[in-house]
Amino acid sequence: MGVTRPDVPGFNLATMTDAMLVRRVLDGDTAAFTTLVDRHAAACTRFATRMLGNREDAEDATQETFLRAYRSLARYEERQAFRTWLFQVLINRCRTAAVRRQRRHRMFLVDDDAIAVASVRPAAEGSDLRAELQRVIDALDPDQREAFLLKHVEQLSYDEMAAATGVGVSALKMRVKRACDRMQWMLRDAEASDVGT
Amino acid sequence: MSEPDDPRWLDDVAGELRREVPVRPAWRARLLEEVARTPTPSVRDDVDDTFDDRDERPLDAGRRRWSITVGPLGSLAAATMLVALGAGAMYVAMSRLGANAREGASRTAATAASPGLVSGAPASAEREVVRFELSAPRASHVALVGSFNEWNPAATPLSRDPASGIWVVSLRLLPGRHVYAFVVDGDVTADPSAPRAADEDFGSPNSVVFVSSPRT
Repeated sequence: MGVTRPDVPGFNLATMTDAMLVRRVLDGDTAAFTTLVDRHAAACTRFATRMLGNREDAEDATQETFLRAYRSLARYEERQAFRTWLFQVLINRCRTAAVRRQRRHRMFLVDDDAIAVASVRPAAEGSDLRAELQRVIDALDPDQREAFLLKHVEQLSYDEMAAATGVGVSALKMRVKRACDRMQWMLRDAEASDVGT
Repeated sequence: MSEPDDPRWLDDVAGELRREVPVRPAWRARLLEEVARTPTPSVRDDVDDTFDDRDERPLDAGRRRWSITVGPLGSLAAATMLVALGAGAMYVAMSRLGANAREGASRTAATAASPGLVSGAPASAEREVVRFELSAPRASHVALVGSFNEWNPAATPLSRDPASGIWVVSLRLLPGRHVYAFVVDGDVTADPSAPRAADEDFGSPNSVVFVSSPRT
């Protein structure tokens, strides 16, 4: 079914909902996709960076995500929030990037050595604190890290998370809880190390 | 940051991790160049299979491949089942043919009653007339967009009542929940007199209208 280009004076892309922007792109207005990129690129880059632990892999995964989403835009259904649909693609890209990295023997470490490394807390604030938190995040099981970031950093609802990950709500709640318990334990351990030194 | 035993530790950790990772302008420019080189997507295009990249999903890494070997007796049983299935399918097809003929009559009646404002809905469902109003005396163009017209700003323009300055349009909508917004001189705006949609999309807020079934 064809949709004619809206003949509306001074149409403002910035005020359009994501669903309307998608409709514009499918109608041939590719500039509308730039607005979608500008709305969602920062969150996607943040999630991928926290998930993969480095900026280069994160930018690759995010770029691939937007290109795949663009090519498959006709598949998007308005019943689902565009952000959830986009994160569905992004999560897959991050999982694939993690597998590729494992193949390159730069695997995520989840053993005691990794926890020990994560627990070494530099006595500094700001970006050092963020680096420390990233080490704690990296030490989580990838499934737990993914669930924690979606819930507490990207602030998706559990229903949105289930739609984006293909994992049931109960399992996701359990993963988030385990991630929180583990992180709290690691941070507490780091505090104890600081007191001891 | 608060201590790990402090109940606020999670808020502090999440707040720190929520700090923006700035999008590099060079990365954005490269992405948009790639997009420009990609064929424009269209509702008529074939779906890009690369979106469904389950083959690359780690969770599916252990997926099994099944094979079934059928012997002579199995072949006979399968042939019998196919004949039975064929007869069943023919019966269903003939039943649908009768149903479609009945629906065709009601579709004609529905189209005559609602001259093209809404299309593509099941013909058997009964619609209710819903009147949308917006007071915007200074606006020069107002349109209605929503889940019922694929958010197409050209599909449903409103007419201005010269006496009151109120913009109005009436639609025949199917029973259920409909999310919508107005487009006032190009800007999307929620209906100030209607409840906001809880599942808001990125961008301007939407409104929601519930249409009850005519039978209830």
